[in-house]
Amino acid sequence: MSLLTPELLRRLEQFQLLAARRAKSSAKGERRSRARGQSVEFADHRSYVPGDDFRYLDWNLFGRLDKLFLKLYEEERELPVRIFLDASESMTFGEPRKFDFARQVAAAIGYVALCGFDRVSVVPFPNTEHGTQSGQAGALTSEELAARGALRSVRGKKSSMQFFQNLNALTAAGGADFNEALRRGALEARHTGLAIVLSDFLDPAGYESGLTALVGRGFQVNVVQILAPEELAPTTFGDLRLVDSESGGLQEVTFGRYRMKAYQQTVQNFIQRLREFTTKRGINFFMAPSNMDLQDLLLKQLRKSEVWG
Amino acid sequence: MNFLAPLAFAFAASIPVVIVFYLLKRKRVVKLVSSTLLWQKFLADTQASAPFQKLRKNWLLYLQILLLALAVLALTRPFFATTAKPAQLRVVILDGSASMQAVDESPSRFERARTEALKWVDSLEPTDQMVVLLAGANTEVKQSATSEKAALRRALQACAPSDSPTRLVPALKMAESLVRDRRSAEVHLFSDGAVPDLTEFENKALPLIYHKVGQRADNLGITALDARANPEDATQRAIYASVANFSSNTMSADLEISFQGSLLETRPLTIPGGQTAPQVFKASQAKDGVFTVRLTGKDDLAADNEASIVSLLPKSVNVLLVTRGNRLLEKALRAVANVQLAVANDLTDAGAGFDFIVLDGIVPTSWPKGNVLAFRTVNTNWVESVAAVEAPVIVDWKSTHPLLRYAGFDNVQIVQSLTARAPTWAVSILEAPQAPLILAGDLGRQRIVWVGFDPLESNWPLRVSFPIFIANAVDWLNPANAKNSQLLIKAGDPFRLALSESVKSAEVKLPDGSTKQIAVDATANEIVFGDTAKQGVYHLRAGTNETTFCADLLDSAESNIRPRDELKFGEYTRVTATTVQRTNMELWRTLAAIGLAVLLFEWWWYHRRTV
Repeated sequence: MSLLTPELLRRLEQFQLLAARRAKSSAKGERRSRARGQSVEFADHRSYVPGDDFRYLDWNLFGRLDKLFLKLYEEERELPVRIFLDASESMTFGEPRKFDFARQVAAAIGYVALCGFDRVSVVPFPNTEHGTQSGQAGALTSEELAARGALRSVRGKKSSMQFFQNLNALTAAGGADFNEALRRGALEARHTGLAIVLSDFLDPAGYESGLTALVGRGFQVNVVQILAPEELAPTTFGDLRLVDSESGGLQEVTFGRYRMKAYQQTVQNFIQRLREFTTKRGINFFMAPSNMDLQDLLLKQLRKSEVWG
Repeated sequence: MNFLAPLAFAFAASIPVVIVFYLLKRKRVVKLVSSTLLWQKFLADTQASAPFQKLRKNWLLYLQILLLALAVLALTRPFFATTAKPAQLRVVILDGSASMQAVDESPSRFERARTEALKWVDSLEPTDQMVVLLAGANTEVKQSATSEKAALRRALQACAPSDSPTRLVPALKMAESLVRDRRSAEVHLFSDGAVPDLTEFENKALPLIYHKVGQRADNLGITALDARANPEDATQRAIYASVANFSSNTMSADLEISFQGSLLETRPLTIPGGQTAPQVFKASQAKDGVFTVRLTGKDDLAADNEASIVSLLPKSVNVLLVTRGNRLLEKALRAVANVQLAVANDLTDAGAGFDFIVLDGIVPTSWPKGNVLAFRTVNTNWVESVAAVEAPVIVDWKSTHPLLRYAGFDNVQIVQSLTARAPTWAVSILEAPQAPLILAGDLGRQRIVWVGFDPLESNWPLRVSFPIFIANAVDWLNPANAKNSQLLIKAGDPFRLALSESVKSAEVKLPDGSTKQIAVDATANEIVFGDTAKQGVYHLRAGTNETTFCADLLDSAESNIRPRDELKFGEYTRVTATTVQRTNMELWRTLAAIGLAVLLFEWWWYHRRTV
């Protein structure tokens, strides 16, 4: 399965992720950073100190002032992009599957980042290494483990094909602790940068502490909530016994068309609460039904919100 | 504890239905969903977090409110109050006469009257009492005073109309006695008013409410039937039938006559409104049998469209005249048709072999046991206080008596006569100021005509009335004639048959083909059969004696089925048909039924919405 069409890839190549802050990564890249180094971008002068490279002396200034000054240039650094990908059981629902949609978004963002010489790391959760609560995560195949490992750090446009393949190899299963996964992801990162969270946010424990941890660590966070059409407007009516795919919990509901409005109101309230929460913390929020047109999200909404430009 | 409507227990059958509804398990469809989080939130939102919420538009709510309202309304037992007064005793008289079978009301007048009466039963207050009387041939008390509606309904359902003429007076008298000392009582008469004469009933105080049934009087009826020897041809019988049209329009029908079931003649009739068409059929008759006259038109009352009569072949009358010589009397007797006259000087035996004996001023050696026509002959078993009067003046005579039919006593003078006080068995048919001159009556099985004077001592034999009287006497005293007239009774009247031998039981075959056994007392000298409410031909067998008799309506007052708006009682009392409706028509049953329908609808609605 190809995640993105060549046509879409070509269009994505024109974009560059917009970082609101200077890059803090230590690795070289194409991002402006506060660090001084070698680039064409002039940053400042400073007095010569013995031992400095003569190549950087500003001879023109020496001619006027008869003092030795060194020209400083901005060091261009990379922007670390961390994509938090919800790979819990609940993401396997929907037509098309929410997980497939999330992978497409992850691929697109990753591709844009790779094209911009930024470092991309995809963090699927639940994660085996952290021994997440669900036993299912332990049953990952070696192939998938390898893919997960490879996705931890990807750089360079030439890696994009491998990146897509590894994304494709991911599967979604088990129950995830959303907050724990985000908190760990925030702590693990040596350099903060851009964080993309792709999830349905249907975690009974909530999402607040995880997002707060990301923001607190200094990440510029973008959130894409992916919900299945079935979740937005159920098509099954009558006396139902609903089984939670992750917890296995039962919920008996008598549902009819006459209650559809009330249900949709509940869903909208849920989305609205998330939107308010994210907006207050400067997080970009996107709501995407899994049957949404991918191009609309990528080429219009993300661009409009200046995730990239 | 009593139940006003015990039939309502039938609603208990709906309880298992409700239980079945609840036995039906709500089968939930198991469905795997990504997360129940949204559903939990949804349920939390929809369930009341606060004790009250804004009233939302919900059809179920309206239905339940409607249901409750209906139930409450039913429990209040609403009714329509109308103008009827509260009564502690209601006597219902249901007219069960033939005219109530008329079908101008649907299905019939009687059914209509019964339905109306049942409504009055429904409106009975718990403390009120009701009596049900059925005025058919006899007045039957179908239900004595009770408050039990079920019993009253049963009694009314058990009533059936008869083919007999209306006899309202006994019913009214019974009702009168029932309500006499009641302060608050009503007599409800359900009738068409087609009743003969109520002049003998006079009670202004009777609280009678007359409920009229019936709408029109489209009826052709046979009102009279007789079979006699044809005066023009002795070998034939003449059957006289009278057909009356009680409608105001001209009506047509075919009149059929049949003998023993085989059709003899059909005669088309067209009778103008309100007219009567007398018809005479002539038919030869080889044996005793039954003539049946039938109207084949379609009219409202079927009961009077058929009548039957038993016709016996004429037999000669054997008469013994015991006299010292009376040519005038002898001549008068011989002039009567079919009379075989024997003359004797004295009677030494009981006169067996003769149909009747004429004693002309002779005290016989042996008194006859048969019927007797006695002139100036005194038997102290018959009369008392016999005295002689000179030249009695005739002041009155009973012209309605069969003996004096067409026989008047104008210009009759009598030289002298014996008189006697009228005994209980006889009626006086000729009166002098002092005492009766002629007595006639039945003494036991003996029919006796006692004439106190010798015709030769009067100018009576010179008057035309004398031979007529003798002819009438031959008719009246001939036991065969007496029997003949007994063979035609009015429906509902008892049939009497004198027994010449002792029998233990008798069997009657009814017109509908069923048979009825009657137990007869061994010492009884007659059989009385009273179950003659249906008209038609009856066959009675008692020992070796076999008799056919007919019960017919033959009542013009009954056939005149025009419903009367007013009943006239006696000279001065009139009762107008009431328009008063029954009181307290309860509605709760209707309400409860609607409530039940709403409940079922609600259940259906609820289940329709969840799927």
